[in-house]
Amino acid sequence: MVTELRAGVAGAGFVGRAHVNAYAAIEGVRVVAVADPVLVKAERLAARVGAVALSDFDELLDAGLDVITIGTPSATHATLAIRALEAGLHVLCEKPIARTLADARRIVTAAEAAAGILMVGHVCRYEPDHRRAKDSIEAGDLGTVRMVSHTMTTSVPGWSEVGWLADTEQSGGPLVDLGVHSFDFISWAVGSPAVRVHAVGADTDAGPATYVLATIRYANGAMGLVEASWAHPVSHGFKVSTEIIGTDGRVSWDYDQIAGGVIHFASRDSIAFDPLSDRGFRSELAGFTHAVRTGAPSPVPAGDGLTALRTALAAAESVRTGESIDLTVWGLP
Amino acid sequence: MTDRPGVAILGSAHRPHAWSYARALASSPNARLAGVYDAMPELGQSIADEFGVAYHQDARVLLESARVQAVVVCSATAEHRAHVELAASRGCHVLCEKPIATTLEDAQAMIEACRGSGVQLHTAFVTRFLPLVQQVRATLLAGELGDVIAMVGGNRGRPPLPPQYPQWITTPSESGGGALIDHSVHITDVMRHLSGREVVRVGAEVGSLMWDIEVDDMALMSLVFEGGMVASVDPSWSVPAGNPWDYDFYLRIVGTLGSLSLNDVAESLRLVSRHRGGGLRLLPFADDVDAAMVEGFVASIRAGHLLGPCAHGEDGLRALEVALAGYEAARSAATVTLPSPRPAHRAV
Repeated sequence: MVTELRAGVAGAGFVGRAHVNAYAAIEGVRVVAVADPVLVKAERLAARVGAVALSDFDELLDAGLDVITIGTPSATHATLAIRALEAGLHVLCEKPIARTLADARRIVTAAEAAAGILMVGHVCRYEPDHRRAKDSIEAGDLGTVRMVSHTMTTSVPGWSEVGWLADTEQSGGPLVDLGVHSFDFISWAVGSPAVRVHAVGADTDAGPATYVLATIRYANGAMGLVEASWAHPVSHGFKVSTEIIGTDGRVSWDYDQIAGGVIHFASRDSIAFDPLSDRGFRSELAGFTHAVRTGAPSPVPAGDGLTALRTALAAAESVRTGESIDLTVWGLP
Repeated sequence: MTDRPGVAILGSAHRPHAWSYARALASSPNARLAGVYDAMPELGQSIADEFGVAYHQDARVLLESARVQAVVVCSATAEHRAHVELAASRGCHVLCEKPIATTLEDAQAMIEACRGSGVQLHTAFVTRFLPLVQQVRATLLAGELGDVIAMVGGNRGRPPLPPQYPQWITTPSESGGGALIDHSVHITDVMRHLSGREVVRVGAEVGSLMWDIEVDDMALMSLVFEGGMVASVDPSWSVPAGNPWDYDFYLRIVGTLGSLSLNDVAESLRLVSRHRGGGLRLLPFADDVDAAMVEGFVASIRAGHLLGPCAHGEDGLRALEVALAGYEAARSAATVTLPSPRPAHRAV
């Protein structure tokens, strides 16, 4: 009989909902409290799993938690995650780890000193498609990975509270919000740190640099291409497209191709089945809670979140200046 | 017809392409294959024999024939200039294999020579002739995507290694480089063709990462065009053994009113046969674009001016300029700014 893990979720938005559902699906984990400054959102989400709804983060920390998800706007991550660590909790901090390098470094420092683990929510590593690709790489199917392109394209996100996500100042735009997934995944797939990035971007109705192409070089010589877009039409939907080329093979997939089924209606838009659904979040939180139970190190440590953010911010700097950025020195303390 | 122009193959060092153009000319209702030149009989003789025309080991002898009104230059890239200048001096129109040259100086000299002689100079940017590309062009010209803000394109392929390909393609002094110069020019040209804009800034990563060769086999280029359109180009020779297709061409476009994507590999059937190695193979059913380009060249000669979507020599120069800037960007680990606006070059 395993001891029950008591989970709390800060932020009742898109990620909060996904995490509540994912925690609820894990045996031995119970969501006991959900907090959001907009209490009605917390109430709606908490009611799904019989948890307490709170409007105050302090009350959440006092709810007798073992683990907590920080699923709030990026600029608040550092303050909340550090307080949770100081309260002795294990923390799942949603990506991007923070909005600024200074905040990210504060989290890294706090995580090093804390009793609990801090895991960054780079969920791509747990999505079944990305996981399968990584397994294939580790099985040696591709030989040495030489080039990875990772594309995440969508229209302006319209679901965040008072539009903080669509505000490129607050969220960092697609390069930070989506790009950190790609930068983290490619470095993970390549098995080598990024050493140089140059990026080009276009301003759109969605805001400045809301379409970005970033080219990355890794220490082992491999190359990466990241496409991060909020500039696509709504009808395009949210699409991920990936190609990994190694010395011995090639693996590629995209969302248009992996849907196992499609329904066409006489009077409304077609629906393609979603083969991924919430599998990534479930697997991610299973990995998190397993590490907590077994005393294992964080599956995605704060340092990895910092690295992905630093690459994204360097790419943003490259878009602004038109220069190539040397990541062996840029943004380091 | 009696007035079908005679077109000769002037250099067949790029043997697969030379063979394809020779086949297109030999079967064209609008032109005649008028002979094949290559300094090396093992390259030129078999093509001439296959299509029943004379082989010449001396280009001058071939061009002295009154029956040659035009040439397709398919020699090693570093030799293009000599062959184009020779053809121009004999009043022959020229379709020159891409990349147009290994240096800007050579490309400019070729353009000047053809202009001076009053003959047309075409660059063999075959991708323009893909029906997919022309369909996209019509969509863009109609304004259906609004202003184009970004393009992502690629032309990947197998490494052009012996015995299927001659050694010179992977010899820097003769080819000017590897995958980047070989394939990026197609994509750069299509982006210029579709956008009507010139490249103003280039960033690139280049490496020899896949095969044991002297030249780059992998590259990624990022481009900024006049007006702010951004682009990325993957010209890599990165197709591994056993891949179901050999070459691809893809293009994704984002505009203010919509987005589109195309991939020529999609236009194929999926075959598995124990007679074809057992694995999955794709069987493309697209029209022969080499033939379409050759027909465009011949029609331009008969019209007396270059017809769309044929590419000028200047188009070859522009794409080369971007490729060479890519190499410079990779060497210096910095982005390279190109002069804007470009010095005017007028087509014949």
